[in-house]
Amino acid sequence: MACFQRASSTLKEILLNLLSAKRLREIDHQFYEFGSVQYRVQVFSSDPDYVLLSITTSLQSQGLPQANSIPYHALQGLYSNMVEVVQPPKEGYQLTLKIDITKMPQRKEDRIRVVTEICSVQAVLLSSQLKEMLWHLFSLDNFRMMFKPIKLVYHPREPFYVVRQPDKITVIFPMRFQDNSDVVIATTLFQELRYVGSSGSCTKAPPCSWSPIPPVELRGESFEDLSTNGGFVSFDIFSHHIENSKLDKTVWNLLNFYAFVKCHVKCTRGLIQRRMRKRMEILSEVLQKTGIARNELADRKAPRNNRCLRKMKSFSKSIILKRRCGFFARNIKIVHSQIKAHGLDRLRRRWTRVTRSIPN
Amino acid sequence: MANTLRLYLTCIRNTLEAAMCLQNFPCQEVERHNKPEVELKTSPELLLNHVLICRNEAEKCLIETSINSLRISIKVKQADELENILTKKFLRFLSMRAEAFQVLRRKPVQGYDISFLITNYHCEDMQKNRLIDFIVQFMEARILKQICMKRSLNTRGRLVATEFLKQFI
Repeated sequence: MACFQRASSTLKEILLNLLSAKRLREIDHQFYEFGSVQYRVQVFSSDPDYVLLSITTSLQSQGLPQANSIPYHALQGLYSNMVEVVQPPKEGYQLTLKIDITKMPQRKEDRIRVVTEICSVQAVLLSSQLKEMLWHLFSLDNFRMMFKPIKLVYHPREPFYVVRQPDKITVIFPMRFQDNSDVVIATTLFQELRYVGSSGSCTKAPPCSWSPIPPVELRGESFEDLSTNGGFVSFDIFSHHIENSKLDKTVWNLLNFYAFVKCHVKCTRGLIQRRMRKRMEILSEVLQKTGIARNELADRKAPRNNRCLRKMKSFSKSIILKRRCGFFARNIKIVHSQIKAHGLDRLRRRWTRVTRSIPN
Repeated sequence: MANTLRLYLTCIRNTLEAAMCLQNFPCQEVERHNKPEVELKTSPELLLNHVLICRNEAEKCLIETSINSLRISIKVKQADELENILTKKFLRFLSMRAEAFQVLRRKPVQGYDISFLITNYHCEDMQKNRLIDFIVQFMEARILKQICMKRSLNTRGRLVATEFLKQFI
């Protein structure tokens, strides 16, 4: 199991935070990624210039004894002199790297590049093991091993099989899904994979086949491994698919196949949901219009010739009264206005005195 | 196909136009209650003959009429697994949001995929012709969009498959 990005984003963030800190404190981070890769990042106060990075993958293979070992030759040369492989690794881990922080480049871009390279250690580990296996199988002359499927478990729920055949290697993925709708969406993809693989546009790609029942190559495997709801997808890898630079692509694509299918299913479900929501909105709008249209129709049916009557009808009684007495109201407003005129106060006082004197 | 669909929808429209003459009618069993007779079916004299319109074996529409209510049940064609899943998903999505559609029944009649219940109150609130238009439009959109959705999923699958296989080259 792998993901589309080679570098682990969590590990990258942790290491970059560590490097950006002015003074390193003692830390011990332990985390899992994709349920199958375990990391441990340690910094000791006794030795603050070094970061210890331990990693383990739950790779279990049956059939090839050397597949479980760490390919140290693959790690050599990948990193510059700032990373050192610790022998023996920490207990419970397959590999421990010692990173010398003092040798990290000062420029930010260079530092990010180096950290990204270090964080892609799990991709290097996983790829190198499968690469080695493919090379080994092609160079295998022992006919006893030929048709025996090798089970690879990069993720507990996502095992796959590698079967050596006279002129090719077949990689078989048993597909399991939780939901029936996922099965249907994925099946559409598998059928298209089969169709596109056999068409002219992708003839150089490994031929792909899908069958709902287990293929003949897996005969004799345990019942639990062969019980799937999504069928079996097989890729036939020929020698020209693992030549030089193509080997890396082929291995990475095979490791990513499960992630690719999952991503497609998730995105398609999202698309269906979006479309359904949109359609529901359109339909509810149509239904709402049925009510509104009735009111509009009633308005349209009203007589058009008597304009004044319609105008009168649309105003309330208070508004009509206010309009009629508009002139009077405006004059009252002027008297009560807050604008102060010179001498007006004295005049108003005299007026009030006069009005009070009237009843007397 | 378009011709048969048009005929099917026209037949449904005509039947609905004839059947949608609903009036207020109080319940004969319970005093001061007003219930859709097509649902209760307590008084046979208030029920009319139901009409079943079939386009083919898999696509049909049942129109049940009573004095104060009308029930329309639709069965949508599901040719393969993908259509089946798409239909189920959409109808479930709609039934969960039935409050947005006043005339939608939350649970369809047995043997059908979706049901509408129109009462005399709906006919008073809404315009009759528009309501019929809505039902017909719903059916038309359902059939056409299902084909469209299926096509788009297949196209999407093909594009994704091509992209995946191109990575090997």
